[in-house]
Amino acid sequence: MATLSYEEPFIRITGLKKSFGDQKTLQGVDLDIYHGETLVLIGPSGEGKSVLLKHIIGLLNPDDGKVELEGTDLSHMKERELLKMRRRMGYLFQNAALFDSLTVAQNVAFPLLEAGLRNRAEIYKRVQEALELVELGEHKDKMPVNLSGGMRKRVGIARAIIGKPDCVLYDEPTAGLDPIVTDVIDLMIQRLQKRFQVTSIVITHDMGSVFKIADRVAMLKNGVIYFIGTPDELKQSPDPEIQNFIAGRSGMCA
Amino acid sequence: MGELLESIKLGAVRGRLMLQQIVTIGYGSQAVVIVTGAFTGAVFTAQSYFKFKDFGIESSVGGIVSVSLFRELGPVLAGLMVTGRVGASMAAEIGTMKVSEQIDALRVMGAHPVDYLVLPRFLAMLISMPLLISECIAFGLAASFIVGTGIFNIPYAWYWKHVVDHTALEDVSFSMIKGFVFGILIVLISCHQGLIANNGAVGVGLGTTRAVVYSSLSLLVCNFFLTFLLNYFFPLGSAL
Repeated sequence: MATLSYEEPFIRITGLKKSFGDQKTLQGVDLDIYHGETLVLIGPSGEGKSVLLKHIIGLLNPDDGKVELEGTDLSHMKERELLKMRRRMGYLFQNAALFDSLTVAQNVAFPLLEAGLRNRAEIYKRVQEALELVELGEHKDKMPVNLSGGMRKRVGIARAIIGKPDCVLYDEPTAGLDPIVTDVIDLMIQRLQKRFQVTSIVITHDMGSVFKIADRVAMLKNGVIYFIGTPDELKQSPDPEIQNFIAGRSGMCA
Repeated sequence: MGELLESIKLGAVRGRLMLQQIVTIGYGSQAVVIVTGAFTGAVFTAQSYFKFKDFGIESSVGGIVSVSLFRELGPVLAGLMVTGRVGASMAAEIGTMKVSEQIDALRVMGAHPVDYLVLPRFLAMLISMPLLISECIAFGLAASFIVGTGIFNIPYAWYWKHVVDHTALEDVSFSMIKGFVFGILIVLISCHQGLIANNGAVGVGLGTTRAVVYSSLSLLVCNFFLTFLLNYFFPLGSAL
């Protein structure tokens, strides 16, 4: 990470509120994300982690509050302006959201084509590279329906990173994957950060991943940021709620 | 809807996607439209003949069939068949993409869903619809000719003379303008229903049903008003 005494945050979220009907999902989230860091977002299911991520990339509009990317407010931007902003970001959907009418390779090439790249050889080379990074080089001509859940997710990751974005948002990149692939993906997130200074925001429930990849951890609970700090601070937090969450104790008896 | 206008103004036309859609909408709908046109032409000829015979003017069957096909039956029937075949699949396809977050995936990767999904379908429909209607009318007339001359023994020349006498370029314009309008209605309603689908499989089903119902009904209502409007510019009987 850059060691400036004062650093302008890459993404600044202030007072973000969002409700769906009666359900108040986000109730005033404040969060700064800095260039080149890996921020891991943890918290109970259904507390709006994905909703927060979708606000960062402008898929959802907040009821109140702002999301700023390098000082530009995204929350009231028109869709067409947002499209340009979004090309700087990659997004991995929880269910991968691959285009089921396109092959794996076509899916992965999509962001390049949208960005206006037309050189076939270059596209082919970069698709191959991205797929090899997630160890799917030999499956490039398959259709997404013929892939397992884990493979789909890895294709989603390849698609999210192929455009060399400044920032990648991962919505549960390792859920449903075996421990080895989980490790591969964790290493890949770290590698992208080290090599290209990619900023990553990762939602995960895998505490092993949290301590492996995070520069900072934020816990979202009851619609606000309940905790933010380094993984060490998280580990040493005296708060029983946090300790129970890390250790996976529900307090129920069998 | 406004988004589509903006998209037409700004969006680069995706040629390959548009060609794909022309194949699905236009090429793929031919069989349905031909059969519809042919049997409607045939049955309309038969019914008209039975009645016209009472007045002894059975040879003018060709004229009424031709004018009806051009002005009403061709555009409306082809429009309804295309609604059922193409409108439903548009709403279902786009709706499924919506509920499986593929629309969001498009947006994330910098592709405007209207540019990517609606515009190619819209343009493909504008190209396909007039052709499909022409085909529907042509096969309707051919069937009418076969039934009229083959079964009811109307002399070829008389039959054909009435067709030519009663049909003019105005009638062709009539059918083509209707075709454009119906095509626009079908695409806008079906794509819109797809894009607002939510609530999983049920939502996609609902959106598809609505797409077909709303498109067909608006097509029929719109047809009534169009007939009056167009008749002002191209009055019936001007060919006589």
